[in-house]
Amino acid sequence: MRPGWVLRLAAMAGYALLLAPALVVAVISFSAGDFLTFPPPGLSTRWYAALFSNGELMTALRNSAVLALLVASIALLAGIPAAYAIARLRFPGRDTIATLLVAPLLLPSLVLGLALLLALQPLKLAATWPGLVLAHSMVALPFAVRIMTTAFGAVPRDVEEAAWTLGATPFRAALRVTLPIAAPGALAAGALCFLVSFDETVISLFLVGPRLSTLPVEMFRYAETRTDPLVAALAMALIAVALVVVLLVERLVGFTRAMGRE
Amino acid sequence: MPPDAMSHLRLDGLTRRFPGTAHPAVDGVSLELPRGALLALLGPSGCGKTTTLRMIAGLETPDAGRVTVAGRDVTDLPPHRRNMGVVFQSYALFPHMTAAANIAFGLEMRGTPRAERESRVAEALALVGLGDLAARKPRQLSGGQQQRVALARALAIQPDLLLLDEPLSALDAKLREGVRDEIRALQQRVGATTVFVTHDQTEALAMADLVAVMNEGRVEQLGTPEEVFERPATRFVATFVGRAARLPGRVDGPGVVRCGEVALRAAEAPGSGAAEVFIRPHHVRPLAPDATADNILEGRVLRRTYTGDLVSLECETPAGRIQAELPGGAPGAALAAGAAVRLGFAAEDVRVFPA
Amino acid sequence: MGARAGLLLILPAAAILAAGFVYPVLLLARISLNRTTDIGAMEEAVTLETFEQLVGDAFTWDLAWNTATLAAGSALAATALALPVALLIRAAPPRWRGLLSLMAVAPLLVSGTARVVGWLAILGDNGVVNATLMGLGLTDDPVRMINNWTGVRIGLTESLMPYACLVLIAGLGRLDPRLEEAAATLGATRSRTFLRVTLPLAAPALLAAFLLTFVLGVSAFVTPRLMGGGRVFVIATEIFDLALESVNWPAAAALAMLLLGALAVALVLRAVLVREAAR
Repeated sequence: MRPGWVLRLAAMAGYALLLAPALVVAVISFSAGDFLTFPPPGLSTRWYAALFSNGELMTALRNSAVLALLVASIALLAGIPAAYAIARLRFPGRDTIATLLVAPLLLPSLVLGLALLLALQPLKLAATWPGLVLAHSMVALPFAVRIMTTAFGAVPRDVEEAAWTLGATPFRAALRVTLPIAAPGALAAGALCFLVSFDETVISLFLVGPRLSTLPVEMFRYAETRTDPLVAALAMALIAVALVVVLLVERLVGFTRAMGRE
Repeated sequence: MPPDAMSHLRLDGLTRRFPGTAHPAVDGVSLELPRGALLALLGPSGCGKTTTLRMIAGLETPDAGRVTVAGRDVTDLPPHRRNMGVVFQSYALFPHMTAAANIAFGLEMRGTPRAERESRVAEALALVGLGDLAARKPRQLSGGQQQRVALARALAIQPDLLLLDEPLSALDAKLREGVRDEIRALQQRVGATTVFVTHDQTEALAMADLVAVMNEGRVEQLGTPEEVFERPATRFVATFVGRAARLPGRVDGPGVVRCGEVALRAAEAPGSGAAEVFIRPHHVRPLAPDATADNILEGRVLRRTYTGDLVSLECETPAGRIQAELPGGAPGAALAAGAAVRLGFAAEDVRVFPA
Repeated sequence: MGARAGLLLILPAAAILAAGFVYPVLLLARISLNRTTDIGAMEEAVTLETFEQLVGDAFTWDLAWNTATLAAGSALAATALALPVALLIRAAPPRWRGLLSLMAVAPLLVSGTARVVGWLAILGDNGVVNATLMGLGLTDDPVRMINNWTGVRIGLTESLMPYACLVLIAGLGRLDPRLEEAAATLGATRSRTFLRVTLPLAAPALLAAFLLTFVLGVSAFVTPRLMGGGRVFVIATEIFDLALESVNWPAAAALAMLLLGALAVALVLRAVLVREAAR
């Protein structure tokens, strides 16, 4: 049945609400004015210029990018073998570990951030690279494990068995056959882990310090205290990264599927 | 049968029970296969034929029993050390590799030098007639072509044993007969000792040197296609392979079984008691008035079915309903429904099993 | 590859999990049992003192009430607004479905802070809404919609909507569209079809969407903090302030444990309700 006009109108209102903030941010980032005024009094790229010449924010951007790359790499390096084991092997405690590995997603990030602060501060690891990498890995790893478990599960078992019968040891078969077939999933998982870390705000708020901060935290603090279009330009930088990653993931595995089945 | 009669493959009491199931999937399967021969494991789905094949390949671990290949006990070897070429039902081609790379994979695992690898891949591709498709990925190949790549991949490693799991089931009905004959010809040319799983009796009879008919995890009969078809050893084999009229009866004495009011002569019959009598339609002929046979039944044609090359007559007789199947144009093929008929068949074609 | 390989492969992930999740969460539980001395220092102890103080404090109950009503209201609004979106996606031709779904859930991956900035620009004194209202002469002074509960409610509703969409798209996708066609052939109008066929069938998915967004709303931090401009207090903002401003770790940990307890109850309730609804 074709949707009626009531449904179309209501759905459009829903989409408007969903997309309005991002669109408004996009327009205001090009504002020539001094405040978050909409519509902007004029258009310019002055706030982007201000953003790129702001040393503190650029350092935070670099930190966030490096952090996200490290976190994505670690999540893949640890998550891929774990996902393979969960999808393909039988061993004692498998189901328990599988459940535990996605459990951090069930915990509110505020509570996880607090717990990490309490654990890392006494060890002098708060506001350090190892501390932040570990903290972000807790949210990235579950995504990596979940996506890769699905990806490995989708590789037909008999393809792997065929490799064995042709003389490949289980290890070589996993490396030469199963992993390459699951490669799009791994790429999607890596992209998503990168993004999860790059956008992570709440946990970071507990763990950053004057010497080490991330872009979302800087943006949060900026938005807390000031209301000029610089923060919109900053938001656009984050949205642009997100958009690239979303399109990449959508191409590779379908975004809605990757986000899970909740 | 190939001349080398020494057994190349030997299964001893192979047994596999899956956790949580009441009956073993494979229950004490023992058989021997000479070098170069093709064995068909034939049976309905769930009879344990694929599990047996997987145990031979090492993909399934038996709970009991041994697998011996060329005198070597391979039961405890993992699949990658067994040197068996397997063609999977789904073909299981590596989707990210070209046809040539698929075929080269097994050689690569064996550390075959590149130059030799290339020539052997070319050889295998030529063998299955796919020389010009070497650079294609599996998804760019038709079903039949994929099947040949799978076969070439399995043969390229010069396996001690070639294992085929329902290799024709994924093909169009039209293609099947041609591919069937090709596989058989190829197998004979290469001389590969082969085990072949199928639920299709025509495939099994047409291709195999030996047929093992399986049911509920056991081998019901192991024999040549002719033996299995003409002299089924058990009631199950008689039912599963080919069609037959099934008549209830009672063994009256040596070689005599009573069906309804008639006594039929049978070459072999169990000692005594209630029995079931199997008579295959192609053994039954309408007789000319002066002709004789071991068994003769007077009856009436109930229905005549014409299928082109064959005519089948369903007849009511004092022994029960019996079908006769004969080539179109043969004597009696023109009989119409309602006509009186005199049916004859040999004593050795009457199979009697205890009911 | 057997049990040993499995354990070996899972070891790195398990180690990271132990260091970054299991140990910190256990420590959180442990610290909630410590006590704070009069000068504000933390003292090792095993006592429920901190919990008693929190539960005995009327402010905690205010926070809990604020948090629960905020989360419930926003979850309800998010679910209601997501329903037409999900229904449209379900009715759309297959080639549009992917794009429409993507548009509905993509905000999940746009940083929450960035979206709050957008709302500040829409609802602020110089924002779109106030410019329109004043332009139409409906009001002379800007209507305050940020730095108060209104802004938090709007922002939180929007931030929860994508989750509601995810649940509803999945849930409604399983409903056979021919059921509505059948209702139409039996003479039902669109609105009656919606009320009598679509809505009852969608009820389990709606319930699941509401409960998920409620749970997420209860622990939301960024939106209440930024949209509330420091004037809106919920459990999450209080935990944050206790940990980082008052540096009262036992209190922060105890309040976090209470929040987790409430969430656990909600999750159990959700499991029960969803099972009931599926019957």
